[in-house]
Amino acid sequence: MNRTDLLQYISTLRNGDPMIISPGLANYPIAQAKDEPLTIYNMDMPYTTPMALGMALGWPERKVIAIEGDGSLLAGPGVLSTVARYRPKNLLIFVCDNGAYLTTGSGKAPTATVFGTDIEQLARAAGMENCLTVSELNAAKQAVDVAFTEPGPWLLVAKVDKQDWPLERGAHTLPMYVYEAGLIFHRAALQARSVKENP
Amino acid sequence: MSQAPKVNSSSVEAAKTGKAGVRYRQEALDAFYDGFRAAGINFAAYLPDSMLDGVEQLMLERGGIECYQCSREDEGIAMAMGAFLVGKRPVALMEGSGIGMSGLILARGIVQKTPTLLMIGHNSTFGERYDYHGATRLVAEPVLRALDIPYHVLFDPADIRKVIVEAQATIEGQRIPVGILVPSHVIRESGEGR
Repeated sequence: MNRTDLLQYISTLRNGDPMIISPGLANYPIAQAKDEPLTIYNMDMPYTTPMALGMALGWPERKVIAIEGDGSLLAGPGVLSTVARYRPKNLLIFVCDNGAYLTTGSGKAPTATVFGTDIEQLARAAGMENCLTVSELNAAKQAVDVAFTEPGPWLLVAKVDKQDWPLERGAHTLPMYVYEAGLIFHRAALQARSVKENP
Repeated sequence: MSQAPKVNSSSVEAAKTGKAGVRYRQEALDAFYDGFRAAGINFAAYLPDSMLDGVEQLMLERGGIECYQCSREDEGIAMAMGAFLVGKRPVALMEGSGIGMSGLILARGIVQKTPTLLMIGHNSTFGERYDYHGATRLVAEPVLRALDIPYHVLFDPADIRKVIVEAQATIEGQRIPVGILVPSHVIRESGEGR
């Protein structure tokens, strides 16, 4: 499965929902598909899911999406137990598992998933229930559809290949700097909540 | 929405008296809670610790502040920052060792202008009895200093409420994390738990 295809599909369903993306090449296809103000790009690992969890708990009326990598999630898997403890129905965790620390340059450094670590089972062991691993794009799309429509929290592990990296690597830029991301996101969230609560 | 589980009064009493022999100063616990409320704090992420457990149990008992227990302190800080981004006024509570684990997420919060209030037990001031807190007391204030995060070491329980309110004003005005460090004698009865 090509990671870019999956990320672009997720972007079509997102509808402006808050999203945090772990560091690496996953950021660019999402930004290119459609930039949204409620986006935090290139979150330092392993804080994508923890920050998304705080958002989901603090804003239960909106879906909150975490775009994880296998390396990023494995850097802080304890958060899965916290997700399981509070079970926010609006939290969606999508893990692109390519079995490698791809942004290191060579992409040759494998993650533990190559040696048998199973992120779905890790989440289940932590107490999460809505967990699924998919290897084909059509199955992944169906799973994403379910995650966007059925109560969560969801953890979807997508086994993706590494073929996108030569294409994605290059002089891409993101639509905002990290320095301004917090201001843009916060302002957009306050505005959205104000409109919702004071129509 | 997911809510933190309610605790019964017996568990709160256990926290106050402490199965480990800790007895908290009730006026200090009240001041922390009142300070949070006066500052508009409405979201708390915490990893239980021997210094601030009484505050956390009191928040759970009295309500008005959403309380979420995390598995690591840096995770809790990230949760609090996420809550800030969606309009909450958060606090992250932990012992000083947690700040030692949290340099990166605090730096991210500074760069990204995504702050949170930090309530920190154990620190480098006087009163630490335990040798095994030696590493803990070495990391909290140095990490805050290294990141240029403003912090205040409480010494008089009468200052608790005012310090929390002013710290939160700094957070919102400057969009930077602010730390409040809580020595043992401020929150525990003197001579207890040592």
